[in-house]
Amino acid sequence: MIDLSIEKLLKAPSGEMNLSVQMNIPKGSFVCIYGKSGAGKTTLFKILSGIMHPDKGKIVVNDQTWLDTQNKINEPPQKRKVGFVFQDYALFPNMTVQENLNYALQKGQPADIVDELMELMELGGLAERKPETLSGGQKQRVALARALVQKPEILLLDEPLSALDHEMRTKLQQYILKVHRQYHLTTLLISHDVSEILRMADVLYHLEDGKIIRQGKPAEVFTRKEISGKLQLTGEVVSVESQDFICIVTVLVGNELVKVVTVRDEQHPLHPGDKVLIASKAFNPVVKRIG
Amino acid sequence: MNTLPGKIKDVSVSGSLSLAHIDVAGNLFSAIVIDTPATSSYLSPGKTVSVIFKETEVIIGTGKEHAVSLQNRLQGKIIEIESGDLLAKIVLDTAAGKVVSVITSQAVKKLGLKEGLEVTALIKTNEIMLTA
Repeated sequence: MIDLSIEKLLKAPSGEMNLSVQMNIPKGSFVCIYGKSGAGKTTLFKILSGIMHPDKGKIVVNDQTWLDTQNKINEPPQKRKVGFVFQDYALFPNMTVQENLNYALQKGQPADIVDELMELMELGGLAERKPETLSGGQKQRVALARALVQKPEILLLDEPLSALDHEMRTKLQQYILKVHRQYHLTTLLISHDVSEILRMADVLYHLEDGKIIRQGKPAEVFTRKEISGKLQLTGEVVSVESQDFICIVTVLVGNELVKVVTVRDEQHPLHPGDKVLIASKAFNPVVKRIG
Repeated sequence: MNTLPGKIKDVSVSGSLSLAHIDVAGNLFSAIVIDTPATSSYLSPGKTVSVIFKETEVIIGTGKEHAVSLQNRLQGKIIEIESGDLLAKIVLDTAAGKVVSVITSQAVKKLGLKEGLEVTALIKTNEIMLTA
């Protein structure tokens, strides 16, 4: 269980912003943090892992107080059981995969966890390779394994998949879910990818300007239930083909491409990358047996 | 997407289907939805809702009386026509606000539609979505 309540005044290019977040995360949850850049997502991770200090607040993880500004408690990062994976891998370039993992071992910690992770993440064949000879997906697998060496209770993933192509992303998602379950982790993932969030997360927090503006089950948060259309899909706009006043919008829903005709809206045009909800009445689609 | 403001007048329920009557600027609209007052709190008389329907589901009729099954009718004046090779976009000014219809350019010619003409927009009951 993570009980967190923090406040920090941040200086952003656009002015000052007060990061003010309360979270109550059950142990073993897979949580996604969603929001625009500059909303405070990474800062929240830094505060949770102890590399940044909030103005005030309290963090209690599994009945252990990591931070309590009122009572001047502030556990250093190495005492907080947090694994961190960033977008840019952050592997030591002069070390092999094996050495990168060994380096993460704490003094006196048995090395068998490294072998276990090498096997679980299928890194055996890459043990003697240097990071520069690895693909993006392989590097991220190593980074993920390294984050788990110290057996953290919380895994923080700061957009670890955003630099990878679609296929590699799907594979890494499987690895992440595998370790999440295997090690009974509480995992927090920063992601902009709606289909990724829908696939992986139990809980979603939508952060905007330092505040949580929505939270709940991802499907419910994204597909505003108030609209009565019963065929609701969420996805990402891949392309917008304009023809006269009509737009043929191609949307990636899961792994499927869907096409929708819309009338062009000059005030709110759609662009590739936009997250959208496609809604239709249950009366419209036809159903054909294919197997 | 056309979105018009309305107020629920009454709701008839049968199994998991509801037929709602909605007052849209003095016009009585009907919408059939797979929801009931038990599953959707906005399905009760007096509640404010938005009536949503797609431009391509709006049928245009000239004149005022139409012996057809469509329940939802809005009279309005054509304020804009944009004709493409195959399709045309027609913007109507109605008592409930602007309504956009997309029909074939051929139909525009056949009906002799032009700006300034008074027409009726018709929408099928099962094409109307509601949102709170």
